[in-house]
Amino acid sequence: MGACGAFWAPGGHASPPHRYPLYQLGNPQLRVFRTNFFIQLVRPGTAQPEDTVQFRIPMEMTRVDLRNYLERIYSVPVAAVRTRVQHGSNRKRDHRNVRVKKPDCKVAYVQLAHGQTFTFPDLFPEKPSPKDGSTEDDLQAVMEEQRQRQRQDPRRGGVPQWFGL
Amino acid sequence: MAAARLAVLCRKVSAAVQTSRSFMSPQVPAGTRFSLILSPKSIPSVTSLHQCRILHTTLSRKGLEEFFDDPKNWGEEKVKSGAAWTCQQLRNKSNEDLHKLWYVLLKERNMLLTLEQEAKRQILPMPSPERLEKVIESMDALDKVVQEREDALRLLQTGQEKPRPGAWRKDIFGRIIWHKFKQWPIPWYLNKRYNRKRFFAMPYVEHFDRLKREKHARIQIRKRNLEKKKAKLLQEKFPHLSEAQKSSLVQDV
Repeated sequence: MGACGAFWAPGGHASPPHRYPLYQLGNPQLRVFRTNFFIQLVRPGTAQPEDTVQFRIPMEMTRVDLRNYLERIYSVPVAAVRTRVQHGSNRKRDHRNVRVKKPDCKVAYVQLAHGQTFTFPDLFPEKPSPKDGSTEDDLQAVMEEQRQRQRQDPRRGGVPQWFGL
Repeated sequence: MAAARLAVLCRKVSAAVQTSRSFMSPQVPAGTRFSLILSPKSIPSVTSLHQCRILHTTLSRKGLEEFFDDPKNWGEEKVKSGAAWTCQQLRNKSNEDLHKLWYVLLKERNMLLTLEQEAKRQILPMPSPERLEKVIESMDALDKVVQEREDALRLLQTGQEKPRPGAWRKDIFGRIIWHKFKQWPIPWYLNKRYNRKRFFAMPYVEHFDRLKREKHARIQIRKRNLEKKKAKLLQEKFPHLSEAQKSSLVQDV
């Protein structure tokens, strides 16, 4: 589902069905064979306990759904799931003074079982770029190429071209 | 659990790109490979182990690691990836293969969405955002192929064209619409909400229906006249390119 908050994300345009089949007492358990739910792990804004993982999930997903999702698809043991709906702001106005709505999303706090802990990793570590020397060489090569192209006719003896003849 | 483990295995081999075709190649019959994994209690036979030489079977134990890319790619500016799955490639795969591929693609999509959100948080560019578009395209193609197969099966078994029943009905505004049926636990004549809907139009609506038809007719006539005018203009400007001339030339030859 789409990311809530700042921007509309391209990742959430396919929505889950608006209506599941009707259930009456005695019907078999509803089985969904290809889930349409896409979730994202997010870095918590405020400090969370070590066993808590924060997710952004589609609005139509419940905590039971999320538990089954994590246990069956990712084989993550889940002890508890708590959800809340994050309201997307409707305060900003565009050039026509029409209010612009940022999409709402559901945030889930999952506590892992068996005493497992999780810290959100640093996905953008600063890597020492070994290409510094090569970029300088490239720059020099490009400069030399430009100089060669701009060289005038040697028979003019360095006289600029805006002189007639 | 088995499906999850298999999905993890699939992702380990190749993540949501054309290279994953090598895993599902038609050279090895599907049954032997998947039997190794689908029933973990069964002892794998020597022949299936021999055929699975190419696979490496280390499964990641921590599920949450699958929300992130290979640690070698963290901090890179670009990550190489192959092309998206096309409809025709997916039509050659069996239903079990498509089911497994769906979950491989789902995990890849979750990983990319996580990465995208983290990049926005850190105010840094996401490495290779086109991967997400490719995965979405592949998933849409997969969905389309599965829908095609379901439609074909339903047509053969029951003759129904549409999965959801419906009927052509006139609504309260006099328009003919395709009314889709809803599932209710009670019959229609006991349904208060359904009976408040009116599938008929009162006589005073006829005037507006006529106005609508007239407008539609005017639009059609304008379109046809414009096409005729354009054809006439072209005929005057380029008489040597007209189709009548061409057909006569063909007949002469």
